[in-house]
Amino acid sequence: MMFGRRAFLQFAAGAVGGTLLSPLPWKLADDSAIWSQNWSWRPSPERGPITKKATICTLCEGGCGIRARLVNGNRAVLLEGNPEHPINRGGICPLAASGLQFLYAPYRITQPIKQTQKRGEASGFKPIPWDEAMSELLDKLVNLRTGGTPHAVACITGQGQGSMRDLWQQFFDAYGSPNFFQMPSHSDSLKLAAFLTLGKEEPLAFALEKASYILSFGSDLIGGWGSPGRMLALWGDWNAAQSENKTPSAKIIQIESRCSMSAAKADRWIPIIPGSEAALALGIAHVMVKENLYDTSYVATNVFGFEDWTDSQGKARQGFKSFLLASENSLEEASRRTGLEPAKIVELAKDFATQPNAVAVWGKSRDLPEKVHHELAFLALNVLKGNLKSQGMISLAPSVPLGPMPQVLADEVAQQGLARKSLDQVKAQDIPLSRKSLYGFLKNLSEAPSYPIEVLMIHEANPAYSLPGNQVFQKAIQKVGWVVSFSSYMDETSLQADIILPNHTAFERYDDVIGVPGLPQAYYAVAAPILPPQWNTRHSGDVLLQMSKNMGGSVADALPWKSYDAFLQDRVKGLAASGRGAVAQTSARQLQETPEGASPKANYKDGADLWKKLASGQCWYDAPQNPLQLVQSPSGKIELAFQSLQSKELEAGKDEQCLPNFSSIALSGNEKEYPLTLVSYQALFLSHGYLPNPPFMTKTLWDFILRNDDSFVELHPETARSLGLDEGNRAVLKTPAGECIVRVHLFPGARLDVIYMPQGLGHKAYDQYIQSKGANPNELLEVQMDPVSGLGTAWAARAQLRRA
Amino acid sequence: MVIDLDKCSGCMACSVACQAENNISFRPDETNKLRSITWMEVFYLQNGKDYGEYQYTYLPRPCMHCDAPHHAPCTFVCPVNATTRNEENGIVEHIYPRCIGCRYCIVACPYHARDFNWWDPSWPKSMESMLNPEVSTRMRGVVEKCTFCHHRLLNARAKAYLEETDPDKATYLPACAEACPTKAISFGNLNDPESEVAALIKDPRAFRLLSKLHTEPKVYYLSKHDWVRKQADKGF
Amino acid sequence: MDKALIPEGVRRCSLPAFGIWILVLAALIGWGVYAGVVVLIQALNVTGLNNHFGFGLYITADLAIIALGAGAFFSGFLYYGLSRFFPALRELHKIINLAVIVGFVCYTGALAVLLLEIGQPLRGWFGYWHANVHSMLTEVIFCITCYAIVLVIEYVPIVLKNRKLDAIHPVRIFGHTLHDMMAIFALTGTFLSFFHQGSLGGVAGVLFARPFAYRTGFFVWPWTFFLFILSAIASGPAFTALVCRSMEIVTRKKLVDRSVYELISKIVGTLLSIYILLKIADTVYWAFFLSPELGFKLGDYYRAPYGMWLLFTEIILCGVLPAILLTASRGRQNHFIVFSSFLLVCIGVIINRFVMTVQTLATPVMPFDKWEVYVPTIYEWAPIIAMLAYCALILSLSYRYLPLFPREKELNTIS
Repeated sequence: MMFGRRAFLQFAAGAVGGTLLSPLPWKLADDSAIWSQNWSWRPSPERGPITKKATICTLCEGGCGIRARLVNGNRAVLLEGNPEHPINRGGICPLAASGLQFLYAPYRITQPIKQTQKRGEASGFKPIPWDEAMSELLDKLVNLRTGGTPHAVACITGQGQGSMRDLWQQFFDAYGSPNFFQMPSHSDSLKLAAFLTLGKEEPLAFALEKASYILSFGSDLIGGWGSPGRMLALWGDWNAAQSENKTPSAKIIQIESRCSMSAAKADRWIPIIPGSEAALALGIAHVMVKENLYDTSYVATNVFGFEDWTDSQGKARQGFKSFLLASENSLEEASRRTGLEPAKIVELAKDFATQPNAVAVWGKSRDLPEKVHHELAFLALNVLKGNLKSQGMISLAPSVPLGPMPQVLADEVAQQGLARKSLDQVKAQDIPLSRKSLYGFLKNLSEAPSYPIEVLMIHEANPAYSLPGNQVFQKAIQKVGWVVSFSSYMDETSLQADIILPNHTAFERYDDVIGVPGLPQAYYAVAAPILPPQWNTRHSGDVLLQMSKNMGGSVADALPWKSYDAFLQDRVKGLAASGRGAVAQTSARQLQETPEGASPKANYKDGADLWKKLASGQCWYDAPQNPLQLVQSPSGKIELAFQSLQSKELEAGKDEQCLPNFSSIALSGNEKEYPLTLVSYQALFLSHGYLPNPPFMTKTLWDFILRNDDSFVELHPETARSLGLDEGNRAVLKTPAGECIVRVHLFPGARLDVIYMPQGLGHKAYDQYIQSKGANPNELLEVQMDPVSGLGTAWAARAQLRRA
Repeated sequence: MVIDLDKCSGCMACSVACQAENNISFRPDETNKLRSITWMEVFYLQNGKDYGEYQYTYLPRPCMHCDAPHHAPCTFVCPVNATTRNEENGIVEHIYPRCIGCRYCIVACPYHARDFNWWDPSWPKSMESMLNPEVSTRMRGVVEKCTFCHHRLLNARAKAYLEETDPDKATYLPACAEACPTKAISFGNLNDPESEVAALIKDPRAFRLLSKLHTEPKVYYLSKHDWVRKQADKGF
Repeated sequence: MDKALIPEGVRRCSLPAFGIWILVLAALIGWGVYAGVVVLIQALNVTGLNNHFGFGLYITADLAIIALGAGAFFSGFLYYGLSRFFPALRELHKIINLAVIVGFVCYTGALAVLLLEIGQPLRGWFGYWHANVHSMLTEVIFCITCYAIVLVIEYVPIVLKNRKLDAIHPVRIFGHTLHDMMAIFALTGTFLSFFHQGSLGGVAGVLFARPFAYRTGFFVWPWTFFLFILSAIASGPAFTALVCRSMEIVTRKKLVDRSVYELISKIVGTLLSIYILLKIADTVYWAFFLSPELGFKLGDYYRAPYGMWLLFTEIILCGVLPAILLTASRGRQNHFIVFSSFLLVCIGVIINRFVMTVQTLATPVMPFDKWEVYVPTIYEWAPIIAMLAYCALILSLSYRYLPLFPREKELNTIS
């Protein structure tokens, strides 16, 4: 039988009708909706009981308390501020809030790897077992000692404050190399200022909690200065509504060239020429002295070098007072240097002088040393105000009485090694206050080192990216025989390594925080892991201890601990043994409100008890110190003319060299070719140091900071107009150090002829969420060596900008 | 919710904490803000003056959970009842598996509080471990927005129930308010005259966004600056 | 070759020529379908839509095509409903078939595009299942599907008039029965589509937090509800007439009597005049009373590229001007003026639907908000163009194989 057209049509109609009457279409519709709700590629988080674990955040040095929320005890889903912690009081910064993105980062190094091709070849890394990696490093270290050249080993660490730093130091002392370096920090220069003024090389601390008037010389108080947790909590207090019944607010005067968030939110923004903050400090000091607005009795009793003085050789020397009153420090001169009208300077001086709890703070950021003379100028302004005294606004950061390190009994090889000058010091004869300088080290290494560096170990630092003027690192590393990285991440520096021994991340390991930057109270906290290591990584401290043990002899004796945890427990035991301080309990402001001399009563039983408390996220604290009681300067007083500062200039009779003074920066490059000034800035919403900006934070970036792969520079609309540029235009930014492509953002908060560029973008490593986004100002900035300390200061460069 | 702009330091911690808490997906390039999903979006306000007198502030904007009579602008228009206001607690909810993705609610909302899933949500494989099991991930093609961390309210109520206290008096903090390092974000029951937020909205600095439109937003802002308050409403 | 299918006594172009035309249309449709498949698979990120512009070209095109397709229901209403009382309207039977097909293609085309527009098309049926009675979109969903079904029913008898199908007895009976009931369907359809146009207007008008679109109104319906109906019934017949005229030009034949065009221009002129007066009243009230209450000035709403010229073009150039031209009997005498006016009317309605959709969203509501511009991508244009090609395809097939124009034979006697 033929299956005719008609039969076919009938069949089709019947089929359609029949299907429609059956449940099939309805079931299919329903199923399709369900399927579209749960399509398989949409991740579904595993459920389970939720617990919280308190610890301390070590992503920066701020010492904030945090809590991790865990699912099933093995999956961390959120970090939040610990409301019982006195530093941050429950708040959290964006970096810590995204902290787990480092723990679970796809760019983590999950096991030891070794470069099998040319250095820098990302595809050349091949996994090797831990034992093999460790023995390779051990062999090199042992061989160098056998060969009598332990000084050919160097280390750069990015951990400036914790016990890990001390452990490295101990290792280098025992091993016999002077070449142990830290990434630059503001405390490097701050300590020197304290040394010259007070005779104690300790960082300074500011009792901002009781301030009523703050002159901020370029310090982005709410943008990352000091401890962000403390500063932001404090900022909340200062701006608390009347209805909240809080202490009266502090008045904040922000002095800087760019309208930073601190400037925009301050009670007053004083815009000045970039880099002239210290000149303004001297200008204010000038007015205070001239108009007798300074604390005369305080200065008369406690200060040396305010009046003219005679040195040990009987030579008459200029004092700070006559220096300030001299014509080169006149009000007009200050006005010329800062670009501020004289009347405004006088007004600021009067306000500052008359406010009861006025304090001047300074320092652009935690990781930028400043010129020592500038540090001294800011400090001198506070001295005139009488701020360094008992219960004063400024004191020295107290030390924490941790258990001491065992005495290093350096063997012969070590003694020989340590007898060599560290590589940065080789050409440093002219530097009066020469301290360890990473820039000096890298510069000498990249040029013609007096001895080779065979092994360079880099620990939790990313100088290839985050060091201003990072070209010097790129050059220096070429001269190094073997580069070891301890990083957890495949960052720009790790890419240059020959071998990588990955550390645990901050949340998988024990660590500690010794002191909080800028906090007058003593502080100690232990960061306990929130999760066991997720990958086949090892604590760098354990690696170091293992290495020492295998080396044997005096090295093993100097580092006797089984593990890094044991080392920390040992230190805490020592802290408990001192009987000082107490563990901060729930009361939130107890720590900051502890006044000088009122040491809290110890509330821990013994070392084990203290460890238990600290490991559960609590912190130890102690009262601030009276700076006047700690003065150890040659005169026994606070010095404004620095007798400890000996230099050729001083001998040549240039008295201002031993007084706080201002020198404007002389940037290299032709003014005609580079008519503009490039200044970089930092912000709390953009991570700029060792840690790259995590995706959570990148998502919140404004589209006038980053658009696609271009980052923006800020320009005043008038400057932009004169350059023929408009909002969003692409342009070539060129400085004597290098050039890059940027986009232009018109920003009325930018000073004329100054280009502002954020720190934290322009990575070349990591993953697609981070790399190739924007430009890195560190490649464009000019590093200047401070003649007093040999520290590299870097924040600007001459620049030109033209349409791309 | 009350957000004190004088306290806000523009650190973006609220927005980051919100992303972490609510499993908000992110892409390698999030610079097209018109396609980016941000429940706690931050706006940039400035006073229009020149150098020296220039001022700006960031304005964090969660969902306003509008209290307009009968309906919020968005719940009024949803054809499938995917977004509704819970009249007991005032939270505007969104049921993702019911949303058909017509985007009418996006169109209705003047605060841009609603975002659409233009792509399949995705995370780097290793970061799937940090997804919060208390908040479901969304699928592409649906709209999502701030829920005032509704799941935390449910947790708080459950806890109150177990502790045999009144679940209606249970309090909680959404992730943004909890994270804010300056405590600029206060959260509580506006209807409770005893609450902190009820006191704060009587502050002379208090204002709401677009109150002239009668959307009755439940998020208040505080600012001491006239130029900020003036930008709350056109032609203030 | 396909002679057997072509209605008796009329001339059609050769099959190869027709085939080429169909292939061109099919290619366009294929392109649009491809784009549509990409949208469905890769999701809406391929479009120019974003969180600012939740609605864009898809919705604009849908609103416009549905407004223009309104010729169907309104002609139907006039013919089946009102011609009893106004015999002059009987003239419309000469064009009613075309009107029905235009309506059919416009509605089905719009439905296909709607499928792309929603983010979760597989859940499209939730609109019936979880209907929110307050939502204008719910009204839209119900009305558009119901009216599409009605249009199918109206279209079927026309299809069944095909020579071959008509030869089958039961089909012929069925077709005839349907035809007899057509008045009922036409009136049901009229109600549905009136309501539907209104709801589409309501979609914008109820957005009380979008001052550009928001209108007060009558009972639960904002004024835009009624304005959309009026503008649709004014422009719909104009569009049908334009389509008819284009077919005449393409086929080089007379398909309807001139008197039909004259009747339509009378209808359009009258309705347009009413509409534009009300629209002006609405605009004045909105600009000078409603908006200031919400804190907005007229100037806040218009900025380049969506400048004041849109308002001027929509109301004056495409509203007042054709209204005057079509109301004046001298204007109606001139073919050029009539069809230019029709064109202007249609453009005016398209602009109206555009501003109510896109400009509503471009206008920042928060004072510190940015003014954004919407640029549709090829993935939005292609399905829209394909939809138009689909309309042309159905019209071409219908014209070739179905007896659309009862007067075609007489008007084109072979001399």
